[in-house]
Amino acid sequence: MKISINWLRDYVDCQLLASELETLLRRAGLEVAGIDQRGAAIDNVVAAEILESTQHPNADRLSVCKVNDGSPEPRQIVCGAKNYKVGDKVPLALPGAVLPGDFKIKTGKLRGVESEGMMCSAKELRLAEDSEGLLILPPETAPGTPIKDLFPAETILELEITPNRSDWLSHLGVAREIGVFTGLPVKAPEPELPPTASAEGQVRIPGEGCHLYTLRRISGVKVGPSPQWLRDRLAAVGLRSVNNVVDVTNYVLFELGQPLHAFDAAKISGSLQVRAASEGEAFRALDGREYKLPTGSLVIADDNGPVALAGVMGGEGSGVTESTTDILLESAVFDPSSVRRVSRALGLFSDSSYRFERGVDPEGVAIASARAVELILQVAGGTAEQTILVTGKCPERGKVSLRHAHVRDLLGIALTNAEIESALARVGLEKLAAGDETRWSIPGYRRELRREADLIEEVARVMGIEKIPSRAQGPFAASSDADAAYDFAMNLRRSLAGMGFHEARTSTLVSAADASHFGEAVALKNPFGEDQSQLRNSLVPGLLAALRRNLDQGAKSIALFECGRVFDPGGEGQRLAIVLTGERHESSWRGGTERSWDVFDLTGAVRQLASLHEQDIVPTLAPVAPFGACADLFLHGKKIGVVGQLTPAVARDIGASTPLLCAEFDIALWRAAAFTKTQVATLAKFPGSARDIAFVAPLALPYGEVRSLIDSLKEPLLESIRLFDLFTDPKGEKIPSDKKSMAISLTFRSPERTLTAVEVQAAADRIKLALREKLSVDFRE
Amino acid sequence: MQQQADALRSEALELIASAHDAASLEAARLKYLGKSGAVTALSEGMRHVPKEERPVIGKLLNDLRAAVTTALEDSQKRLLEAADLAAFASLDLTLPGIFPSPGTLHPLTQLMDRAVRCFRRMGFAIADGPDIETEWHCFDALNTPPDHPARNEQDTFYLPDGRLLRSHTSSVQVRVMETTPPPVRIIAPGSAYRRDEVDATHLAQFTQMEGLYVAEKVSLADLKGTLEFFFRELFGAGTDIQFRPHFFPFTEPSYEIDIRTEALGGEWMELAGCGMVDPAVFEAICERRGDRVYDPEKVSGFAFGFGLERLAMNLSRIPDIRMLVENDLRFLKQF
Repeated sequence: MKISINWLRDYVDCQLLASELETLLRRAGLEVAGIDQRGAAIDNVVAAEILESTQHPNADRLSVCKVNDGSPEPRQIVCGAKNYKVGDKVPLALPGAVLPGDFKIKTGKLRGVESEGMMCSAKELRLAEDSEGLLILPPETAPGTPIKDLFPAETILELEITPNRSDWLSHLGVAREIGVFTGLPVKAPEPELPPTASAEGQVRIPGEGCHLYTLRRISGVKVGPSPQWLRDRLAAVGLRSVNNVVDVTNYVLFELGQPLHAFDAAKISGSLQVRAASEGEAFRALDGREYKLPTGSLVIADDNGPVALAGVMGGEGSGVTESTTDILLESAVFDPSSVRRVSRALGLFSDSSYRFERGVDPEGVAIASARAVELILQVAGGTAEQTILVTGKCPERGKVSLRHAHVRDLLGIALTNAEIESALARVGLEKLAAGDETRWSIPGYRRELRREADLIEEVARVMGIEKIPSRAQGPFAASSDADAAYDFAMNLRRSLAGMGFHEARTSTLVSAADASHFGEAVALKNPFGEDQSQLRNSLVPGLLAALRRNLDQGAKSIALFECGRVFDPGGEGQRLAIVLTGERHESSWRGGTERSWDVFDLTGAVRQLASLHEQDIVPTLAPVAPFGACADLFLHGKKIGVVGQLTPAVARDIGASTPLLCAEFDIALWRAAAFTKTQVATLAKFPGSARDIAFVAPLALPYGEVRSLIDSLKEPLLESIRLFDLFTDPKGEKIPSDKKSMAISLTFRSPERTLTAVEVQAAADRIKLALREKLSVDFRE
Repeated sequence: MQQQADALRSEALELIASAHDAASLEAARLKYLGKSGAVTALSEGMRHVPKEERPVIGKLLNDLRAAVTTALEDSQKRLLEAADLAAFASLDLTLPGIFPSPGTLHPLTQLMDRAVRCFRRMGFAIADGPDIETEWHCFDALNTPPDHPARNEQDTFYLPDGRLLRSHTSSVQVRVMETTPPPVRIIAPGSAYRRDEVDATHLAQFTQMEGLYVAEKVSLADLKGTLEFFFRELFGAGTDIQFRPHFFPFTEPSYEIDIRTEALGGEWMELAGCGMVDPAVFEAICERRGDRVYDPEKVSGFAFGFGLERLAMNLSRIPDIRMLVENDLRFLKQF
C-alpha cells in the first residue's frame, strides 16, 4: 500500500526523514518495501500557455510556437510534439533549467530558428516513466506557475501490510502507529456527526454478510473535475482522478480506511436492500464488464436488481456521472469472508474489497460518511440531508483481561505493572480495571486484539524486543529415531562423496511419463504443468535428467547420487540412488588403459557402501525397464535395493555412448537390516595356504553358481575364494568360443595350527571334484 | 712384509675410493678380499713366517684387512647415498598428482548439516513429518483461517483426495506435539512446496528448517537466546541480528529475523520467521490429543523456520536458484 509522507503530516507532526520513518515503522512491524520520490522539484520550469503555433520554415516535423510564460513578452519555442492545441498549458523549461539526466536548457537555434527554452513531456520531468508528447496541464493552471508548485516533491512509502493489521490500510492508521512509537499526538479528522435516523423500511439488510449499513443523501451537487489538491493526493497513492464526488470517496478510503460508495440517487428505483444474489443474476460493474454472480453473492439491489456488488464494486448504471445531482453515500461494514468469496469467484479485486476482506473498523463507518459529506460539500457543493440513515448496529467494544505475571513469564522480562499498562495505553487501549490483572477496552480499529496473547504481543511490540534479555539454556534432549535416520543417510552421503560420487538434488515433482516405469504414482490435482504433475516414485528419472544435462554440457565422467523422498499411494519413503556413466579415469600422463565405467564398478561400489558379500547380489531373472540387466541387493537376507545397467534404449535417449549404470536403495529397509558389529574377528595366528584352480566352463555358467557350489561344500578350512582371472575367446583359438576359463584362488587356514600340504591339497581336490561333477567344468592339467 | 702390507693398503684404499658404482666396488672387494685376492694371498704367507714374528705380522695383516673392509663399507655407503640422491633428483614433483578426486555433498546438504550440528549442540533432536500433509496439520492446527489465501489452489498443491503438499515444514510441529508430550525440543529439516512459477528466485519445491521448543515457562528470552546463538555459530560472532515484529497465524508475538554478516555479503537479509507458539495452536493440539498436556496455561513455547536455498545462495553468491537443482557437475564440484 502507498502512503504519502505529506499526507501523513495532516495527522501527525512527524518531521522524520523517510529513512528514519522506515526504521520506526519496521520496529512497529510495518515493512517498507520501497521509498519513491515523486514530483518535479526542478527550478526554472514553469507553466506556459501556447498562444500560437506555426510550421517551422526548414523542418517538416517541427513547429514554432509563441507561448506565454507569465512574463509580459511571449517567448518563441521550437517544438517537435504534435499532441497540443493552441490554448493548452504545458511545462516550459526556461534557459538555465537543468532537467533530470543533467540536461541543461539554453537558448539556441533549431534548424535556423531561435528557441528560448523547451516544452516538456512528463517523462522529461521524470513525472512518468514513459509518456508521449507534451504534458498537458489542467486548463486552470496560471501561466508562470513554477512546475515544482504544481508537482510538489513527495515521498511515497510502499508498505507491506500483514493481514492482521487492517488499521494500517489508511494514512490515519499509519499516523496512529507513528504516534505510538514517537509519542507525538495524532489528530484524526473530526467531522460533524449528524444525528442518526433508523432506516427501517427504507434499507433492508440481511442477517448475514452485513451488520451495519448507512446511507446519506446529498442533493444538488455539481459533479466535475476535482481540485488540484485532491487530484495530487490521489495521484500520490497511485489513483486516477474520476470526478470530484468519486475522488472524495477514494480520498476518505485512503485517509480513514473506510471504503465508501456514492450512488446516483436518480438511478435508484424504489428502496435499497442488501441481499444475496439469486441464481443466475448478472451485474454490470463500473469496469464496464458484465459479471454472472455466484449464487449467494452479497449485492446492494434496488427494485430492478443489483446496483452494487457489496464491498467490491459499484454498478455501471448507478454510478456518479457529470449529470448526477443527488447522491446516496453508502458507508457500511461487509463481512470479510463474504467479500473475499465473491471477489475470488469473480477475480474482481478493488481497494474496497481489499479492505473489507481484512475487516474495517465499524466505529469508523459514521465518521467516514461524515468526513466524505464534509469534503463533497466543499468540492462539489450541494446540501446534505440532516440525518444519516442507519441499519444495523455498531458492535460493542471488545474487552480483554491481562494477567501481568503472564506477560512477564511469556516475554521473559521483569516488567513493572506500570510499564505494561503504559504500553497498552499507548496503542489506544483503555484500562477498565486496575491491579495485577487488568481489563482493557479495545477500540474498533484494533478489534483484532481479542485475547490475552494479543495484548502480550502489543506489550512486546511497543517495548521493543531489544529490551528482552537473551537466555541461553535448555533441557537435554534424547536422540530420536529421526536423528538415527538422519545420521544413517548422512553417513551414506559422506561415504559416496568419499568414493567420488557427487550429490544431486532433483525435484520431487516429475512427469507422468517419468513415473510410469516405477509402479503407481501419486498425481497432483492442480499441477503447475504436465512435467511436474506427479510425485516421484523413484529417484532414477530425476538423476537421469541430471545426467543428460551433464552429458549435454560435455561432461566425460558422471557419477551422481541423490538421497531423497519418494511417494506412492501407500505412503512416503526415503531412497538413495546412484547413476554412473562415462570414463572411469581421466587420461593422465601416466598412461594406462582407459575404459568406461561398467556395471562391475557399480556393483563393487555398492558392495563397499553396504558391506555386502558377493552372494548378496542376486541377479533378477526378468529385468524391468529401464533396467536391461539388474540384480537385487540383500543385506543380512533382507532386500534393500537394486543395481544394474539400463537398457541401450534409455542410454540412446539420454545421449550416453557408454554404459548407463544405476542403483537404487530403500533407506528404511537398509537401516532396518543393518546392524553394528558387536565382536571383532580373531586375527589369524597361523599362516594360510593358497591353492589356485583353473578350469574351463560353459560360457553361460554364472560365476555365482561356482561360488554357491563351493560355499555349499562347507569346507571347514576354506577361508576365502577369489576369482582372479576370467578369459573368453570369441574366435575360439585358445579355448572354444562357447566356453570360458576361470581361475580361482582358494585360501585355507586353521585358527589352531599350521596346515599340512596334504590336507590343503585334499580340500582343494574335493572342491575340484565337486565342480567337475556338478557343473561339468574341465580342469586343465 | 711391513712394506708389502703398507703398499697393498694404499693401493687398495685408492682403488676403493675411486669405485664409482656397485660393480667396480665389488671388483675391488674381490681383488683384495676375494678368495684369490691380494690381502688373502698375503695372509697365506703367514705359514712361512717364523713363529716369534707371527703375533706382529698377524696384527699387521688383521689391521690391513680391517682397513680394507672399513674402506669398502664406507664406499658402499657413499655410493648408496649418492644413488638415493640421484633417485630423488629425477623425481618431478611438479607433475600433476593422479589420485582419483573425491565427490562432493550438495551445498544445501552441507548447509543443512551445519545447521543441524549447531542445534544439536543446543540439545535439539531431529523430527520428521510427511511431505504429503492433511489440511489439518498444515493449516487448521496452525490457526490458519479456512479462507486464508495460502490455502488456495493458486498457491498450494493439492491431491485429489484433499491432502496437500505441505507449504511449510511447520506441520512437523503439529506432528510432534500430536504424538509426544512436552517438553519437546526439535528441529525438522525438510522440503516444502509452493505453487510458484520457477524462475531465478523461485522454486516450486524448497528446503526449510523448522524448530520448536515447548516446555513450562519458555519465554521470548529463550527464543532470542537460541536464535542469536544459532546465527552467530553459523555466521560468526560479529553477526548482527535484528528481530522485527511480524505476523504469522501460528505464533504470537511473531518476528522476522534479519541478519547482517560479512559471510552473507554484508547487507541486511531477511532470513527467518519465529515467534511464541499461539495459544490457539496448543488448543488445537489438546483437542486432537484428547488431553491437556499442551494446555497453554501450563506450557509455552517458541517456534521458528527458515529457508535454506536463499541462505546458500547468499553464502556462495549463487546468482540463480535453479542452479541448486540443475545438478551441473561444474557447479557441484565447487562445493
